[in-house]
Amino acid sequence: MKAFRFMFILLSVMSIGLFSACGSDDETVTETVTETVEVIKEVEVEKPSTLQTVINRGTLKCGVNDNLTGFGVLTAAGTFEGFDVDYCKAVAAAILGDASKVEYVPLTASARFEALGAGEIDLLIRNTTWTASRDRDLANDFTATTFYDGQGMMVYADSGYQTIEDMDGATVCVLQGTTTELNLDDRFTSAGLNYTPLTFETNDPLQAAFEEKRCDGWTTDKSGLASKRAEFPDSAGGPAALTVLAETLSKEPLGPLTRDNDSEFYDVVQWVVFGLIQAEESGITSGNVAAMAANPSDPGMARLLGVPFSGGEVADFQFGVDPKFIQNAIAAVGNYGEIYERHLTPLGLTRSGSLNAQWTDGGLIYAPPFR
Amino acid sequence: MNSIVDKLYVLSRSQKFRNLIIQFIFLIFVGLFVYYLISKALQLDITLGHFVSRAGFGISHTFVVDYTSNDSRWFAYFTGVVNTIRMCIVGIILATILGTIMGVARLSKNILFSTISYLYVEILRNTPLLIQIIFWQIVFLQLPRISEAITFKDTVVISNRGILLPYASSTENGYGNLWIGIILIAIIASLFLSFYINKREDIHGKVIKLYNFKLSGNIIGLIIFFTIASISFFILQKPYDIDLPSLYQNDKGTYLQSGGFEFTPEFGAILFALVMYTGTFITEIVRGSIQSLPKGQTEAALAIGLSNYQTMTLIILPQALRSIIPPLTNQYLNLTKNSSLSVVIAYPELFMVSRTIMNNSGHALPVFFLILVTYLSLSLVISIVMNILNRRVTRIGA
Repeated sequence: MKAFRFMFILLSVMSIGLFSACGSDDETVTETVTETVEVIKEVEVEKPSTLQTVINRGTLKCGVNDNLTGFGVLTAAGTFEGFDVDYCKAVAAAILGDASKVEYVPLTASARFEALGAGEIDLLIRNTTWTASRDRDLANDFTATTFYDGQGMMVYADSGYQTIEDMDGATVCVLQGTTTELNLDDRFTSAGLNYTPLTFETNDPLQAAFEEKRCDGWTTDKSGLASKRAEFPDSAGGPAALTVLAETLSKEPLGPLTRDNDSEFYDVVQWVVFGLIQAEESGITSGNVAAMAANPSDPGMARLLGVPFSGGEVADFQFGVDPKFIQNAIAAVGNYGEIYERHLTPLGLTRSGSLNAQWTDGGLIYAPPFR
Repeated sequence: MNSIVDKLYVLSRSQKFRNLIIQFIFLIFVGLFVYYLISKALQLDITLGHFVSRAGFGISHTFVVDYTSNDSRWFAYFTGVVNTIRMCIVGIILATILGTIMGVARLSKNILFSTISYLYVEILRNTPLLIQIIFWQIVFLQLPRISEAITFKDTVVISNRGILLPYASSTENGYGNLWIGIILIAIIASLFLSFYINKREDIHGKVIKLYNFKLSGNIIGLIIFFTIASISFFILQKPYDIDLPSLYQNDKGTYLQSGGFEFTPEFGAILFALVMYTGTFITEIVRGSIQSLPKGQTEAALAIGLSNYQTMTLIILPQALRSIIPPLTNQYLNLTKNSSLSVVIAYPELFMVSRTIMNNSGHALPVFFLILVTYLSLSLVISIVMNILNRRVTRIGA
């Protein structure tokens, strides 16, 4: 009898586990059901779009970084914060009307693409560089660039290094998990320089080695370097002891990405990104979005916010979500400039004059027209 | 109708039938789960075709193999495998020596020795290996920084970038690897020969005589070693060159070091951690095996006038070896598998190199499979070698 009860418990646990596992992918549920119940076989169920899955589930599964101050970090209070995290919130607000309906999945650099490919997450916003191989070979779709980054080199100020050319024979600490090692090698070997890369898997042992001057340089994306420099301990000299070389080793456009052939969801994410950029250009902030929505100053703004202009019809672009989706996103996290100010300006990443300024200010932040 | 229900009722009361049903349902669930996993896996690319493309990243520790970033991913992977094997061989040898000494010390009548051994085992066995690795990394980083490096007239450079020693050079005119290979072959050949001749003398009483002078195995071994070395020196006519380490300042005034044989803090930290950790288990194995021998063995040995050292090396350890080897194999396997923890402190062994390849290519699943196969092969080789050894050891006693 005891054995029977045990088996029963084991079985129920297994079945719960199996069905919750299948829950992430409705296709498998369908297959399981068709095997057991013949009748349902007649009803051909297409693989639902991620957009529909998210709406049905009521939460957005967002793959993020949990250890990069400014972009995605798990705070002591147990919440996720950062530039990328705000985009998760914006998408959740746009689709589900509630920025808190996000299930954050912290991912390592090496696990992220397969987590997305296997459907473990809906959306990957984890300071991920847009490259051709990732876009095509790994079957992802990059929506838009939210931050123009580039790989940099941080050295001790007293080392006298000013360019990469000075660094012949140097030891460089690299953080594994990106194209970083490849860019580093390209730069040094093409210049005919000798170097020793010390590749670390995580930041903490790397920082320990760098603080003891095991390496001459520390290379990763400039945003990451700024974040690490800002929090460099005073016992090791503080931020003043370090300089980030002016040279940029690579182009690193970061942005959210979805699975290939998932247009409905892809379009929503892409236009949320564009919408927040357009909002900044039009002067809409999280503070004044409600007032603007109540009384839009021009038809373009009314279209963006999904509200009627002077008693006319609401422009619905058939995104499959509430026409007010961009309004909801702005209300939740603010426009592009607000997100930047909140997370990246404190790291010392100045926006004006950089690629991340609005196109009207000479930057590359530009949204296609919302019409 | 009623009878069917009755029969079903009876059946449902039968333990055997119920178990069968439950097992059947269980099997279906397992099958579905496996199907689910496989169907997920098949959505991903599971070939290793991308391994022929250019690796494009540097590897900090290249031992014997001359890897550059222009080589293929296969070669990068191979470099990682070599680094793993190097770590395992050195680690296994040192851990065995340490474990044997500590195991004997544990049973010593000298309280100092036995206490040291006791504390060593209890402290290091009961803390996580990962923590120990990070601890040793921090310890090695406390060596003088390069600007304050210790040098001995261009022969040794000691800093937290690595300890540099003179080494046979493989660049320009030097054929360092060739010479190291020849010397290794000479050593192995002479060891085998001297071992064989000594054995022949011990067992069959046959001796090789040159006129009236008896040639023992040790002397013949030495002769063989020098013969091989000098013959190859004259025949090959390849020069040898010694690579001396150097510490220098570049034009910006920053210190750099290069050349020589490099013993890096990363290699040191992993090696120390693995040797110290595995050594505790070997200590316990050695201690247990010695204690399992009847006390009479020691007493008899002492009674016929053998010294303590002779008792240990001639009587106790050879017998203890028979029960040491099987659990020792486990520890060697553990050491090999634990070497994958090197990944946390930047020692580029096979797991770390494959992680880099995985990140660069984005195909994690097949690479993981390759890693598993490689570790499995390494473990199987160790197992086979140890099983052969075990068979020999047990046969002698029988």
